[in-house]
Amino acid sequence: MTILPSPTLSWDTIQNVFYRKEEVYQMAWSIPDLSDYLIAAARNGGPIAMIRDERKVMLLGKHTPGKPKIHIYTAAGALLSSLTWDLTPPILMHFTSTHLAVVSDEGTYRLYDLSNPQQYTQHTLGSEASEMGLVSAKGYDEGFVVLTGGLQFLEVAGWKGGRVTPLAGSSLTDPPTSWAIIPPDQSSSGHIEILISTGTTIVTLDALDRIDQRISRGPFSHILPSPNGRFLALLTGSGSLWVVSADFGRNLSDVSLADVMDGDEVGGIPDGAGWCGDNAVVLSWGSKVVVVGPSGDCLRYDYPPSVHLVTEPDGLRILSSSTSDFIQKVPDSSLAVFSPGSSHPAATLYDALDLFDRRSPKADEIRSIRADLASAVDMCIDAAGREWDANWQRRLLRAAQFGRAFLDLYNPSDFINMAQTLKVLNAIRYYEIGIPLTYAQYLLIGPSTLISHLLSRNLHLLALRISQYLSLRPDPVLKHWAAAKISRSKGVDPSERGIGEDEGLCRVIVDKFEKEGDRGVSYAEIAKKAWEAGRVRLATMLLDHERRAAEQVPLLLQMKEEKVALVKAIDSGDTDLVYHVLLHLHSSKSPGDFFAILDDSSNPQLTPAINLLQVYAKEGDRRLLRDFYYQDDRRTETACLEMQEAGEAVEPEERVGKLQAASKAFGEDKERLFEAKMVEDAHRLLSFQLAQERELDHKYKFAGLSVDQFISRLLTEGFSKRAEKVRNDFKVPDKRWWWVKLKALAGNKDWDGLEAFAKSKKSPIGYEPFVTHLLALSPPQPAQAASFVPRCDPKIRADLYVLCGDWGTAAEAAGERKDKAKLEQLRRSAPNGIAQREVDEVIRRMK
Amino acid sequence: MSSSATPSSTAGPSRLPHLSAGQAPTAPSTSGDSESTALPPPDRGIDTGILKELARSALIEKLNDIQGQKTLILDKSLAGPLGLVTDIALLKNQAVDKIFWLESGPLNVATRNIVWLCRPKLSLMRTIAEQVRQEQARASSSGPVVFTLLLVPRATELCRKVLEDEGVAGDLNIQEYKLEFIPMEEDLLSLEMDDVARDIYLNGDDTPIYYSSLALMTFQRAYGLFPRILGKGDAAKRLADLMWRHQSSGLPEYRDFESSDQVDGLIIIDRSVDWVTPMCTQLTYDGMLDEYIGINNGSIEIDPALIDPPAPTPAPTSTSALPTTPVVKKRKHQLSSSKDRLYAEIRDLNFAVVGSRLSRVARRLEGDYGGAKNLKNVREMKEFVGKIGGLQGEQQNLRLHTGLTEQLMPITRTDEFNKMLEAQQNLVAGYDAMAQLSTIEEMMFQQSAWSGVLRGAVLMSLTNGGIKVKNLEAYKRDFLQVYGYHHLPLLIHLQTLGLLVKSPSTLPHPSPSLRKSLRLVVDDTNDAVPNDISYVYSGYAPLSVRLVQCVTQKNSILSAGPGTTDDPAQRTGKSALPQAHPIAGWRGFEDVLASIPGATVDIRQKAEGGAGVAVDGRDKAEGSTTTVVFFLGGCTFTEIAALRWMSKQTKGRKFLIATTGIINGTNLLESFGDRPPVALS
Repeated sequence: MTILPSPTLSWDTIQNVFYRKEEVYQMAWSIPDLSDYLIAAARNGGPIAMIRDERKVMLLGKHTPGKPKIHIYTAAGALLSSLTWDLTPPILMHFTSTHLAVVSDEGTYRLYDLSNPQQYTQHTLGSEASEMGLVSAKGYDEGFVVLTGGLQFLEVAGWKGGRVTPLAGSSLTDPPTSWAIIPPDQSSSGHIEILISTGTTIVTLDALDRIDQRISRGPFSHILPSPNGRFLALLTGSGSLWVVSADFGRNLSDVSLADVMDGDEVGGIPDGAGWCGDNAVVLSWGSKVVVVGPSGDCLRYDYPPSVHLVTEPDGLRILSSSTSDFIQKVPDSSLAVFSPGSSHPAATLYDALDLFDRRSPKADEIRSIRADLASAVDMCIDAAGREWDANWQRRLLRAAQFGRAFLDLYNPSDFINMAQTLKVLNAIRYYEIGIPLTYAQYLLIGPSTLISHLLSRNLHLLALRISQYLSLRPDPVLKHWAAAKISRSKGVDPSERGIGEDEGLCRVIVDKFEKEGDRGVSYAEIAKKAWEAGRVRLATMLLDHERRAAEQVPLLLQMKEEKVALVKAIDSGDTDLVYHVLLHLHSSKSPGDFFAILDDSSNPQLTPAINLLQVYAKEGDRRLLRDFYYQDDRRTETACLEMQEAGEAVEPEERVGKLQAASKAFGEDKERLFEAKMVEDAHRLLSFQLAQERELDHKYKFAGLSVDQFISRLLTEGFSKRAEKVRNDFKVPDKRWWWVKLKALAGNKDWDGLEAFAKSKKSPIGYEPFVTHLLALSPPQPAQAASFVPRCDPKIRADLYVLCGDWGTAAEAAGERKDKAKLEQLRRSAPNGIAQREVDEVIRRMK
Repeated sequence: MSSSATPSSTAGPSRLPHLSAGQAPTAPSTSGDSESTALPPPDRGIDTGILKELARSALIEKLNDIQGQKTLILDKSLAGPLGLVTDIALLKNQAVDKIFWLESGPLNVATRNIVWLCRPKLSLMRTIAEQVRQEQARASSSGPVVFTLLLVPRATELCRKVLEDEGVAGDLNIQEYKLEFIPMEEDLLSLEMDDVARDIYLNGDDTPIYYSSLALMTFQRAYGLFPRILGKGDAAKRLADLMWRHQSSGLPEYRDFESSDQVDGLIIIDRSVDWVTPMCTQLTYDGMLDEYIGINNGSIEIDPALIDPPAPTPAPTSTSALPTTPVVKKRKHQLSSSKDRLYAEIRDLNFAVVGSRLSRVARRLEGDYGGAKNLKNVREMKEFVGKIGGLQGEQQNLRLHTGLTEQLMPITRTDEFNKMLEAQQNLVAGYDAMAQLSTIEEMMFQQSAWSGVLRGAVLMSLTNGGIKVKNLEAYKRDFLQVYGYHHLPLLIHLQTLGLLVKSPSTLPHPSPSLRKSLRLVVDDTNDAVPNDISYVYSGYAPLSVRLVQCVTQKNSILSAGPGTTDDPAQRTGKSALPQAHPIAGWRGFEDVLASIPGATVDIRQKAEGGAGVAVDGRDKAEGSTTTVVFFLGGCTFTEIAALRWMSKQTKGRKFLIATTGIINGTNLLESFGDRPPVALS
């Protein structure tokens, strides 16, 4: 075997566990001593922020005059930007995915947009924080927690000016020696918790409770939760490193720091401490870095003059003046392939490739692992992902490819994915980009977070290419790009802007979106950026390209383009959006302006909005409705509203008044004279009914009856004079009068009255209804009914008699008309017995 | 009959077109009317159960998101629709402690949570605000109460505004519960929204159109993009435009639609295109039940004795009564073709033949049990039904429908019913309109129900191109005097809608020409053995459904004569059904469509990126497809019956009926008016 610069050169062991340390970058910065600075580094290979630590004594001449500056570097030490910090000294710097948050010791914090660091938003933590000052602060992904001078913990959920909520009382009398955050996704309660070292114990604090963990080994100088949250590393005052499970239930290791130092002269409380993945704890004193294994075995490194440790989910970054190193437990797949004497099939496969390349017949050994070949291939693919050096990546992938050739069926997607991923990772790890993201970290954060990381660095083209390469939607990149493009033009005096510059920029953005973007990129957000940058015209132009009205309308309202907003909302067909605009206008405009905007006489497009306004106002704001009808001369609607309110009025007088108002409103429209007359009648009727009620000492209730019901009621109660009066007053036609009276008399079983009525004059409805109605009563009145049959048309008399059950007379009637067919029919249909005999009798007489 | 229906209705969702041919010979040869009740062919169109499951699980999810015991306050108008997607009693599993109706007045709640579930109506918001304030004022022993508001189908700005004005918006957790299409039957989807026609056509409030568009988008998410959208009417056009707008909005939920391989098109029928149909009295069994007893959300209120015989052990089939409903005499019964096969058999029959159909079933039951008897009429049948034992379900169904038929039968015998029917038929046939107006007025003088009298007049105005001013004013004057002046706004609204106008009217008046070009009036209709959709009105074919035929069954309009495939008697037991022709738009009926007011819609939808390859290997040419007919503004039971009948006339196409709600002429007219006046003090 030829000796290659094996990857295992960087390996070391702690108690048979392999660790490896790789130099990732030579730092581009020239910082002689990191210990002069407060340093914050973003996880997953993110950028590094530093500010001169004011508490450190400076050598004369080293001090740079003026306000302190925060410098932001890439992970490879290239300066990205410098910010002037003009507040009181910072106690926390923390990177979110898009921003750098800096918290001052007076409770003010700023969020710097990483893609445009000169722009920041500033928030405060309230009066308590500013009066008492802050002692310390710690951040996590979704927010941060501060400890005030009053020893109260405050939680800030969300970075963008989130709500400040105090946690439960800490009962501290002195600032704790150390404390740590357990983020909600790792705590047992699902809410944020903090661990505080106080006295000899540790206290767990959340929003509601304070729980003493009853530990007697404190105080602790460091409380370090492991990246996955399952372990805690505690450094005790007595100089030992104690690792326990997160619930304090299990002791995992207990190491005396004196042993670790192995007689070295430095000692005491470490300057830095962090987890190397979830596997080991790393401590630093000055330039010395020590990786401590569970039983006290350790690895030692030296980085004069000082280091800064950055815990990563799968390892630890060691930043020093000259290098950025990455130390991690050797991943399983690398171990399988490369560990000395590995008998894993992956190692055999890898060796076989080597032999094959050298045309050695021993390459045939691959056949010995036939059964495990598939897993060997998988292992080689995974191992490729774990290497920094592209040569090794390639070699391992080749081994996988070689093994694949011996497999009948193999799904190549893992292979392809890995090759793709490595291409992306190598691109971003390139020192000019400087994002040393490991494969494990990449799996953890996913491609979209990587994209937003690239965007925060304004690496738009790379982000776009990677998006396209990985088939991600390019929208976020395009949006960010456009926003950056607009904000870059912000500083320019509008008068200096060339003519057509808005058009030009709009066209550039739209072209780019259409060329690179998917269908449905939202322009509203970009337009909003343009508007915020003071480029109203550009904003309007961009907004025109937005297809979703729900996105357009709020911005248009903000831009005071109310009329446009209204039209867009109407066009969208989403009535709720129209209401959004209407309510906004109603509350922000004077009534006059409001109605002026809604005037649809000039713009029929607005009609739907007016309809909706009426629907709303009818239910929710009658005064608005009346005002609207009034100013728009809508008489019919006004009258109908009065009618509706008349119906809703419980007080008779109020109803009378409403009817009068309705009649008046109808009367003002010459197209509605008929309706005016009708309402006038309604008014007259109700007044008359009320008068009659009074006249009859309120013994009867008439109000609310219709004309016919009223007449019927009067007849039933025996007030026929009054009924006649109503008939005349309301010009009730004869036919109707006859029907009402017939029904009323029949209902009263007033047979004499009915007889008299029938005789009073020739019935305009004929007499058949007398018969049928009496039969339809319950119980039916066949005898009374039959008495009216002779007044009916002779042709139907026989049938009517049958209905009355009088077969004999029916036959007689038919006989009188000599209607033999009818007789025959009667005979057939008559029931047996008397009826049939009666019919037969008449037939016989006929003959 | 129903014994042979058993296998087909329980058959799996297999699509085996040849079975329908194979099954025909097994149909009994007792009479030719097997056609009208033809077994649901094995090809059942698409499976709508997904939508129900969607609605059910969404509700459960919403409730589960709220931690702890809950008191549910339910909007009454939602009880029916919710009852169709879930058993309300089962909500106990979601820690629902008690359920109350949403009514004003204080609550008495002991749970940690109060959840209001309602439509976004402003009046309800005020009630809720009042209740929130009351609860807050009431010192609670069990800590603060959590208030949640679930709005159906979505939370609107207006509701938020009202809650804000009332000062409780901050105390309420406002959520949405997206309840859209509810499968009423496997071929019928409904949004179960009330008063849609009033909102759209009278108030100009297009909210229902927007909701419809969202529901249809959801439908497309489930079943694929409609390859073609056809429609008639301005509102139909707005709906189609909105769907296109969603489609092109680029919203993630509307992205990557594939062209449907199960559905060949959507036909949108705008109610304003055909007001005539709902004005006519429906003559199918379902239609009669709805007109005279009332079907709400698929349920009917009946005398409990009709389902529970007084003596034997009661076995309530279905009841969605809530625990808090006071015990009322009437009981809700859900009409369901899957639970009640007899109902499935008769629901779409012309009522005239329902009696004989029931007696045949009774006789068969009787035959099954040996006791031969001669049943002459419904009464005898009823007596008979009481005697036979066994087959409880079938017997129970028979008792129910016999009972209901017995309630309807006397109505159809009245003078009033028959005269009105005659008037309606003469009007749609364009025969002596003035004489019909006198008949209608005569009904009015007798104080016949106002809605019928008004439906008649509207029908006259629609078919006659308005009514002469003198007559119209006399009619209106009488109408107001007989039924009350509070109807005046209704009359004005009908004028606004063009439903009751003076002649000569400026409105287009296509009735006479359509009567001919679309064969709206069919003389040789056969109620028992339908040969045309006109059987649902005993001679009048609904224009709305004729329009669907213009797209899907062109022959049935063009060729009316004998010897065509329309003659079912010839076909029964012999030849297979003709193959449905593919949708070719409105071709051949362009002039007819142009004569009807309102926009005409014809859109081809293409899936992006050429997706939409049928993956399941079903041969599209041979296979079957479903055409969705969406009624914007509601449809009647007769229209449903007509479309179901059409599904059975060809092979290869099923109709899936979707609607905003089910309406009839009476509740339609009622919705155009104000609420009746309150009692005076």
